[in-house]
Amino acid sequence: MFRLRNSALALLLAGYCLAQSSSQYVTPEIRRVGSKLACLCGACKNTVATCQMLECHYSLPARQTIAKLQKEGAADDKIIDGFVQREGKKALAEPPNEGFGIMAIAAPVLAVAAGLGLILWFLRRYRQPGVVPAMTDEEVRQYQDQIDKEFSKLD
Amino acid sequence: MENIGALSILLAFCLTIFAIAASLVGAWKKKPFLIVSAERAVICVWGLVTVASGLLIYALMTGDYRLAYVAAHSNKAMPMIYKFSAWWGGQEGSLLMWNFILATYALVVVLQNRRKHRAIMPYVTTTMMVTQAFFLMLIAFLVPPFQVLSTGGKAIVDVGDGQGLNPLLQYWTMVIHPPTLYLGYVGYIVPFAFALGSLITRQPGDSWIFTTRRWAIVTWLFQSTGILLGAGWAYSVLGWGGYWGWDPVENASFLPWLTSTAFLHSVTMQEKKGMMKVWNLVLVASTFFLCIFGTFLTRSGIVSSVHAFAQSPIGPYFVAFLTVTIAITILLILSRLDYLKSEAPLESVVSRESSFLFNNLILLASCFAILWGTLFPVISEAIAGEKISVDAPWFNRVNVPIGLALLFLTGVGPLLAWRRSTPDNLKRNFLWPTIGMVATIAGLMAFGISHFYALLSLGLCTFVTWTIVSEFWKGTMAIRQKDGLSFVPAVIELTHRNTRRYGGYIVHMGIVMMFIGFSGAAFNQDTTVEVKVGDKFPLGRYEIKVSDIKMGQNENYIWQNAIVEATVDGKPFATLTPERRIYEKSQQPVSMVAIKRQLNEDLYINFAGMGSESQRPTIQAYVFPLVSWIWAGYWVLLFGSLICLVPAKVKMQYARTEVVGVSTKHVPATK
Amino acid sequence: MTIAIAALLVFGVLIYTLIVRPGSLPEPEPVSPFRHVDEAKARIYENLRDLQFELRLGKLSDEDYARTKLDLQKELAKVLADADKLKAELGVQTTSKAAKPKAAPEYVCPHCGKKFKEAMKFCGSCGKPMEAEA
Repeated sequence: MFRLRNSALALLLAGYCLAQSSSQYVTPEIRRVGSKLACLCGACKNTVATCQMLECHYSLPARQTIAKLQKEGAADDKIIDGFVQREGKKALAEPPNEGFGIMAIAAPVLAVAAGLGLILWFLRRYRQPGVVPAMTDEEVRQYQDQIDKEFSKLD
Repeated sequence: MENIGALSILLAFCLTIFAIAASLVGAWKKKPFLIVSAERAVICVWGLVTVASGLLIYALMTGDYRLAYVAAHSNKAMPMIYKFSAWWGGQEGSLLMWNFILATYALVVVLQNRRKHRAIMPYVTTTMMVTQAFFLMLIAFLVPPFQVLSTGGKAIVDVGDGQGLNPLLQYWTMVIHPPTLYLGYVGYIVPFAFALGSLITRQPGDSWIFTTRRWAIVTWLFQSTGILLGAGWAYSVLGWGGYWGWDPVENASFLPWLTSTAFLHSVTMQEKKGMMKVWNLVLVASTFFLCIFGTFLTRSGIVSSVHAFAQSPIGPYFVAFLTVTIAITILLILSRLDYLKSEAPLESVVSRESSFLFNNLILLASCFAILWGTLFPVISEAIAGEKISVDAPWFNRVNVPIGLALLFLTGVGPLLAWRRSTPDNLKRNFLWPTIGMVATIAGLMAFGISHFYALLSLGLCTFVTWTIVSEFWKGTMAIRQKDGLSFVPAVIELTHRNTRRYGGYIVHMGIVMMFIGFSGAAFNQDTTVEVKVGDKFPLGRYEIKVSDIKMGQNENYIWQNAIVEATVDGKPFATLTPERRIYEKSQQPVSMVAIKRQLNEDLYINFAGMGSESQRPTIQAYVFPLVSWIWAGYWVLLFGSLICLVPAKVKMQYARTEVVGVSTKHVPATK
Repeated sequence: MTIAIAALLVFGVLIYTLIVRPGSLPEPEPVSPFRHVDEAKARIYENLRDLQFELRLGKLSDEDYARTKLDLQKELAKVLADADKLKAELGVQTTSKAAKPKAAPEYVCPHCGKKFKEAMKFCGSCGKPMEAEA
């Protein structure tokens, strides 16, 4: 066998093992439910389904819970409600469409609407001739010679 | 040594204060020597910050483990390059680097403008030095990089060896990602400073735009590069295969990019027609403030993030700084609205001008949505009393349609003529690209692809590509006709005539390629399995087998890797060796994924670990279609941006009006 | 040692910053009060040049072209009027100085006849001295 200078670390590497079963909780059924739940480990913005740390201290127990409840025949909504009851609304991956959660999607929509309004205002305001003191035809004619001379220089 | 470092920082801080005062008084009392003195102070600040940075780097490289910073972010076993990059590996050092970059920019600006822009330079100096003073204040008093370790009493302790840089950061892109991003973040202060300067002094014309055009493009390029390096790092290091996770800090780096992109577009309106002056000021200011805000978000710990700069006391100071500077900027703009009046009317709704308006709307909508989503957990906690999570699915739901709308405009904008486009024109210009788009979508559907956004995105990619290629084609043909050049010289001639437009098209092409890459994400496949050595498992068109497990060590870490063989249809395809490491100092485990990169799809293998009882390896295998297009798109974007920086061949050459009889120096200046 | 370096640093900085001799004040580049007028003119030419190119590309109908060109003429008239006003205000006369031709001087090798953009001592093509020998 190979020799390791620091056998304590070798032990650590060997010891840094995955719990026997962590990979068996990555099934399509568990993912279906998990994709609606936020991973609350604090280090990622993923869902319980997409958190890729097999041993994540939040997602793994969450997946195990989902699996257990599914075995007992609980419906998806029931399972999710259970999480919300335990963790609060932050257990959901996306803001719920109720209460203040509506603001999450409403604010950007309102912002776009406001932006469109601003553009409309801008178009109205600046399409009116006369915003900039325009030259009268008379005045333009005064400079016509010079303009023609200047323009003719271009190829 | 640490005393000299600390002194340099303190002295630099005092000098920034002096520079601010001298500039303002000099401009007010019209005393040129005060202004020059302030500029010399800027040069000294650069010198002092450089000394401080040099000393810190020296301490890191030589391993002066009496310093808290060195002990926390470096160790003996680290390769030299990471010892150097430990300069920005932690809070204190990265703030020092921020200062160094800002001081360097200020130095360049001062040296470039010794004789130019004399009227606005005092205000440019002031703006840059106010920012510099703030950041120097942070490292002078709040998070000093030259802190020595000491026991309870006064004795200095040498711990002998340090903790080492976070292993996740010991990767080549991480050596250049932070500096690049900082170069982009800090750089926007230059256009901002010039904009403010000409606003304050009411310069006639729009010369600040011409002066800072290159700065804006270069810093934008740095931002893009920094963001993509970060994405590339996340993809190949973090082991979850994503390049973008909507993490608050990622978002923070993306926000100023969005506004600066908007600025680069809408600034053409001001250049060409003297319109949207207020708006451009708002954009350049927002970009600058979002850069500062991003720094704040990264370091204050108000939102949880993987980019864990530990919670630190500097948050409130950022809030104060931002509040004050934003307020001053708004007041300045409001007090000079008359100066910012638009010079030209808008002729038609269907015109290039209005396409820029919509482009800006979409970029800013995305910016706002991302900002809102990032802060929503904090906001909801503050207002509704309950924290609401906003995770990746929400960001995707909101930003995918926005991104596609933007892609659409990328194709439409360049086809609209300035001022007005009649319906006949539209038909002529849009017929073929639209047919191409429909054909692409139909073709992909025939291949059994039904994912709505992916179809739309790839269709739009065809649309935009078509418009860009036809722009080049038509232009080249026109040049050939006129000058009788052969094809390649004609393309070069065309690009050279108007480098910013055609360089811009190439940048658009890079973006299109990235969108092709993003669309691939709709077809990702993955599996996680625990297998016996020698067993096979399928993924997509691959058969994957773990054929061996090996172990070893070097002085920095011990490692264990899996030899993974992939076959396609029974034929050997690739052998990959994903690895796990445990770093000695930090005892932190790190996965080194193995990726077989191809143009159509990447095979991505992560060695997640060994099952504790079974002693079987657990393998996470992924297929990521089209990811390589994102990185390829970056190179195209880089190439296009560089072309934008080349001066156009037919520069604005114009007759200069000169005053007869007197030399221009003595002509009474207009106010 | 540390104290000496510190003192040197402080005094060096103070002396460099505070003592500005009149001779070291920079001579500002002459700025013509008509610069923004010239820039505005240049902008209009640029727009016109673009317009003509787009017409050639077929991105523009003749009618749109004519209308836009007329607009540009009006804008130019406005700029010219502004220039006149400024002239009257300042009470000066002006001349228009044509832009310097950008073409770099060419250096021709007296031996092989190859042209170069920069002045060189020896020809980059045939290697003989560039300056014609007396």
